[in-house]
Amino acid sequence: MTKCSNPLALIAEITHRCPLHCVYCSNPLEMTSRQEELATADWLRVFREAAALGVLHLHLTGGEPLARPDLAELIEGARKSHLYTNLITSGIGLSRDRLAELVKAGLDHIQLSFQDSTEGQANWIAGARAHAHKLDLAKWIREHKNPIAFTTNLVVHRQNVDHLEQMITALEALRPDRMEIAHAQYYGWALQNRSALLPTRAQLDRAVAVVAAAEERLRGKVRIDMVIPDYHARFPKACMGGWGRQLLLVDPAGRALPCHAAGVIPGMSFDNVREHTLDWIWQNSEAFQKFRGEHWMPEPCRSCDRRKEDFGGCRCQAFLLTGDARATDPVCELAPLHHIVEDAVREHAVTEPAPDACEAPFHVLQQEMAGFWSYRTDPK
Amino acid sequence: MAELLESSVPKFAAGCRWGGTIEAPVVLFPEGAIRVEGTGRIILELCDGHFSLAEIVQKLETQFMLAPKGKIRADVQTFLEQLHAKRVIDY
Repeated sequence: MTKCSNPLALIAEITHRCPLHCVYCSNPLEMTSRQEELATADWLRVFREAAALGVLHLHLTGGEPLARPDLAELIEGARKSHLYTNLITSGIGLSRDRLAELVKAGLDHIQLSFQDSTEGQANWIAGARAHAHKLDLAKWIREHKNPIAFTTNLVVHRQNVDHLEQMITALEALRPDRMEIAHAQYYGWALQNRSALLPTRAQLDRAVAVVAAAEERLRGKVRIDMVIPDYHARFPKACMGGWGRQLLLVDPAGRALPCHAAGVIPGMSFDNVREHTLDWIWQNSEAFQKFRGEHWMPEPCRSCDRRKEDFGGCRCQAFLLTGDARATDPVCELAPLHHIVEDAVREHAVTEPAPDACEAPFHVLQQEMAGFWSYRTDPK
Repeated sequence: MAELLESSVPKFAAGCRWGGTIEAPVVLFPEGAIRVEGTGRIILELCDGHFSLAEIVQKLETQFMLAPKGKIRADVQTFLEQLHAKRVIDY
């Protein structure tokens, strides 16, 4: 058994239900239904166990966490367990009063997603009318008498990356403490829509320059964190800070996963927080031990100096692209199967005319865009 | 970046607070935490919105009388400016 440190953060996917249909969503295609979701008391116990295990940060995410009517109770319980609570949200379902209720319950940080700089374009990507409400909500967050940390989160891809400068300017006006600019990661729905989302190299280079200029200009005012698209990187990302090393995720049904997408790897079994304590799962569950440490690594990872920095990249991506979860992440230029990523970039990361962004009810959008991308659908 | 003046009053930015345990305190902020010990801890405990930079430096100079003249002022300034860039400390 590989010796392990304690986890620092718990990602709690409290529901897969979501009023948005974002095409870049990294949720699994097979989603948990409302009936299967953990009850309030289960989550509160998981939060206590997480804190006892040394976890400092709790990320409440989904789906849309606001779809759970017990969200304030969950936040209050998390704060009582001394966790730093972060709500990752689209904002849909958050009125001014409910925001006040969540802040009163002890919310530390709110991370609000944006899809693009203009309403029409943003709603086209989200498959829902959401943008205008987000702008109102941002105002309420800053006006609230008890200040909480405010991050705007922007997922960028080929359809919006050329508007990055306008987006940063628009978001700056909302006075966030932090901006997260994350290129789409190709899992779940995003992988399904990869051919419409993968940016070109030239787009990425421009985006990097735009972000560097914004960082310089906003230093001390807004902290900017950027995630680059790993298909264009030379080396893989240190996914989850290493498998079973710093983070764990509990899905809506209570399964504990070492990574968001780990459910796609065949032959893995995930222990459930309904049956085991988080401590037991972290130390003993087969899923967490599977790729913890270096014993599983093939060459070139096994003898590579970078293995302590990137831990061989992402196991789920390795499986999704090569069919073998033990393979070196093919994003790595040293990977024997790196050509898979090069081929994907050559084939998909090309500028081609996109359909005009249009605003229409979801079912119309879904039909009209069917040949271009698939909108995320809600669990049954 | 805002200039740190003698009269500036450094304090935790929105959503940044103490956490961890009394023996091993940490400063928690969005997506991160810093373990602070020694002088860093003493400085941050003074960033409660009651003391100006001049007052913080004066308190530290009283506590660390043997430190070379001007060193404490320079160290405190660098420390606070770094945390300001991370949006952990406002002034």
